[in-house]
Amino acid sequence: MLKIEGLAKSFREGDRAHRVLEGLDVQVGAGQTVAIMGRSGSGKSTLLNLISGIDRADRGSVRIEGLEVSALGEPARTLFRRAHIGFVYQFFNLIPTLDVAENVRLVLELNGLRGAPARARSLAALAAVGLAERAHSAIDQLSGGEQQRVAIARALVHGPKLLLADEPTGNLDEQTAREVLPLMLSLAHERGATLLIVTHDEALAARADRVLELRDGRLSERRAMAPRA
Amino acid sequence: MSALRAASLRHLLRHPAQLALALVGLTLGVGTIVAVDIATASARRAFELSLAAVNGPATHQITGGPQGIDEALYVRLRTHPLKTADAAVALAPVVQGYLTAGGRVMQLIGIDPFASAELQDAGEGAPALALHGADEARDWFTKPGSVIMSAATADALGIGPTGEVELTIGGVKHPAILIVRLADAGPGFDGLILTDIVQAQEWLGSVGRLSRIDLRLPQGASGAALLRRLAALLPQDLEVQSTRASARETFAMTDAFTTNLKAMSLLALLVGMFLIYGAVSFAVLQRRTLIGVLRALGATRGEVLGIVLSEAAVLGIVGACCGVLLGLAIGRALVGLVSQTINDLYFVVAVNEVSVPAGVLIKAGCAGLATALAAALLPALEVAASTPQLSLARSVLERRSLRLARALIGVSALLALGAALTVAASSRSLLAGFAALFMLLLSVAALTPACLHALAQVLARVSATVSPVARLAFADVAASLSRTGVAVAALGMALTAMIGVAVMVESFRESLREWLVQTMRADVYVSAPGVTDSLERRLDPEVIRSLLGVPGVRGHSEARRVTVGSARGPVELDAVRLLPESYAGFVLTQGDAARAWPQFLNGAVLISEPLAWRLGLAPRGTLALTTAAGPRAFTVSGVYREYGNERGEVLMDLTTYRRLWHDEGIAALGLYLAPGVEPAATVSALRAAVRGRQALLIRSSGEIRALSMRIFERTFVITRVLYWLAAGVAAVGLLSALLAWELTRSRELALLRTLGLTPRSTALLVMAQTTFMGLAALLAAIPAGLLTALVLTEVINRRAFGWQIQLHLSVTQFSHALWLALAAALAAAAYPAWRSARLPLASGLREE
Repeated sequence: MLKIEGLAKSFREGDRAHRVLEGLDVQVGAGQTVAIMGRSGSGKSTLLNLISGIDRADRGSVRIEGLEVSALGEPARTLFRRAHIGFVYQFFNLIPTLDVAENVRLVLELNGLRGAPARARSLAALAAVGLAERAHSAIDQLSGGEQQRVAIARALVHGPKLLLADEPTGNLDEQTAREVLPLMLSLAHERGATLLIVTHDEALAARADRVLELRDGRLSERRAMAPRA
Repeated sequence: MSALRAASLRHLLRHPAQLALALVGLTLGVGTIVAVDIATASARRAFELSLAAVNGPATHQITGGPQGIDEALYVRLRTHPLKTADAAVALAPVVQGYLTAGGRVMQLIGIDPFASAELQDAGEGAPALALHGADEARDWFTKPGSVIMSAATADALGIGPTGEVELTIGGVKHPAILIVRLADAGPGFDGLILTDIVQAQEWLGSVGRLSRIDLRLPQGASGAALLRRLAALLPQDLEVQSTRASARETFAMTDAFTTNLKAMSLLALLVGMFLIYGAVSFAVLQRRTLIGVLRALGATRGEVLGIVLSEAAVLGIVGACCGVLLGLAIGRALVGLVSQTINDLYFVVAVNEVSVPAGVLIKAGCAGLATALAAALLPALEVAASTPQLSLARSVLERRSLRLARALIGVSALLALGAALTVAASSRSLLAGFAALFMLLLSVAALTPACLHALAQVLARVSATVSPVARLAFADVAASLSRTGVAVAALGMALTAMIGVAVMVESFRESLREWLVQTMRADVYVSAPGVTDSLERRLDPEVIRSLLGVPGVRGHSEARRVTVGSARGPVELDAVRLLPESYAGFVLTQGDAARAWPQFLNGAVLISEPLAWRLGLAPRGTLALTTAAGPRAFTVSGVYREYGNERGEVLMDLTTYRRLWHDEGIAALGLYLAPGVEPAATVSALRAAVRGRQALLIRSSGEIRALSMRIFERTFVITRVLYWLAAGVAAVGLLSALLAWELTRSRELALLRTLGLTPRSTALLVMAQTTFMGLAALLAAIPAGLLTALVLTEVINRRAFGWQIQLHLSVTQFSHALWLALAAALAAAAYPAWRSARLPLASGLREE
């Protein structure tokens, strides 16, 4: 489903170039849940940005379902991203000026689905995360766990093939994380989405099919598990 | 509404203060443009209506020199009418002059009601006059002093039921009686008094003469043929001109004045544009993460660009609407100032109605929208083009701003070079002059952020030795260039314009003062009241003899001012007989005085600087004027400095004038007193000598100088109003930008408080920063303002009026700019300082 070859990325800091990724290779099968671990600053978030086409690699390629996303031009990458990728962030990144349902519906509208069908689908997504009754609440009236559940609904509402989660439990207390994480995993699994999770959380990693470690700009398999039934 | 639009709109509504300040800038900018357009359009409309009322349906008019037209010509044209097989020329005689009634200068129009009615019957235009019944017609012809005016004018003059009114013409009082109040006369009749042509001739002292003959010619080939035949019949000193061309020529006199006003209003809008830029870029900055999320979720660059630009468009439309409303209000106030200036400088026009052409409103709407979109384009493009990082580091943003500020140094140099080339490549174009001026102002604005950064860094280093807090104050300004640079650039540009205008006005004032001292050689001046070049301004010869007989008067000069025709349009002619000591009053800027004056006495003319500039004349050139015997070329023997008449004038020896125009009238005297004689006492004696015979203006040279300076100040009131408006926009800009910047620093200030900075010190820190920025803007504005003053005096004034003005510098010219800079800076600091000093630290630390 996802195939990355020779991916390299460096950033300039004054006169010095800081190499984050150096010839990274990986393949992820459809429907797999993969945890990516690594020290702070090792390039985990950069990797997600390169996979999603938010950022461009210096060299190497990213293929999603055979399509070389890294070779697409900017508008095409954006259109691909909004149709096929979902995001869950550590700090939720919900739009504070929109209510809960509108936040979820936004992605559908960006994909051209409007009106009653969009409303119905976003409500269904909210119902799936247990927040149907909060559909018209303001974002700042929600708890951290609720906000992350809205983010999960938003990430999955348009049925993406690939779900990218950047420290999804990093801003949640342990109890809340224990409630949110299974929800995200099960919903991704139900929808057949491939899930890439960047995390420091060993407990979370333990529930992934594979655990990859990013070190010195390359990914190495820390543990491979048999896919869950 | 789509979720994307909702997110954008709700963000704006969640920050009402920020939104309001951005709107204030645009509103003031658009409002100023609308106000100026309304004021000038109202003056033009009043002028056109007054012409329509006076000319009626006339298509052409026959005009003559200062002595007008011999009425025998009219009789000849009536008894031998010009006609073709299918058309004829309709004609009506008119005698026109000025009078004063109830302290107001008004036009007196003498008509032949039968001929006027005939002219009206021939056309479709508005009737010039209608005598409604037999009683009125009888009064018109039998009652001496019968006049007609609009009901509004009669009410303004306070004319009672008896209809009696006193008219002063050329200093002589005449009783008149109002026989008809035109209730539905319309605004064109404001400031007009109609009477019978014979009565007008008697009052104006022009018996047997006509001011003009109005004609109505058929359209097409037959009209053109009739016009050619008519022109062939006319004596050489008369000409026939279309009324439309004549009106255009008259109103064209105000072109330079209205261009100046429009440029000032444009300045306000330009400053407003910086304000919008500041507001939009701040709104973008505030939502960088949000926009990053949208981009990550799949919003394309075009969609992000669309969001930001549509926000700006909403701002533009709302700002334009508010601006139009404000402009309507300011425009009503400006109408008085504009018409006063036109009356002072050009021609008499009564503006009693505010005219709001639809074009003005459309233009304002487009200007508001275009300004907002242009201002928003840069931040919109920047945010749309950037990689959708979710939390772009502040330092990255600031590094970008610094790079941009450095790149703008080159842009600034190019703009300055462009301004210099524009001036050099265009020798006469006023618009090119203004284009150069705006390039110069933009050059200053482009240079300011880099200068601010450099200055703040230097001061941060220097102050580090004194206190780390002082270092922080300056370093913060340098480190927040994306916010501080725009605000200081906008303020710097407004201060530059302010200093430039102040230096120009002050230099002009001083040049005028010096010129008045130089020119006014006589001790006392006597003139007949009325409009400067009107024929009826004539001193009675008996009165002149009495005046010259007053003890203490040792000599006199004489002057007659009239308007004469020339191949280049009408020009004012000042015919003078000077005493030997009077010659020194004229400073020749071109030509040699030793040769010019003898040539002058032998029939050559001198011309004033504005006329020389307007007509492109120089010594040894010739100017053809229409004398009583037809056009005649006069050699120009010199060009003299003259600030009294921006259209320019011709100076001719009185003997030459009388010989060629057969006009013996004297309009003014300059009296030279014997040594030791007090002008004030002589003025009283002169007034006593003419009392009851002719009301004259008898004033010492000191009084005339003071009056001239008062008129000068009045002329520049509107300029001052406009520049304060532009300055107001800039002050609001600084206020909003700094307020926004300081408010975003709540967390940093709270942190400083936590570390031990007292509330007072925190407030001082904020005030020091905004004051520093205000002063930095002023520092940039001083040299740029001087350069602007140079462009205003050497390019704009020269091209608009032909005047050469010496630069005069004084501290007071900069004081307004200083106060504005300080006031804006301190006002911007007040709320954040108060807030940061009182903010609960815990919540402050949580704020981002």
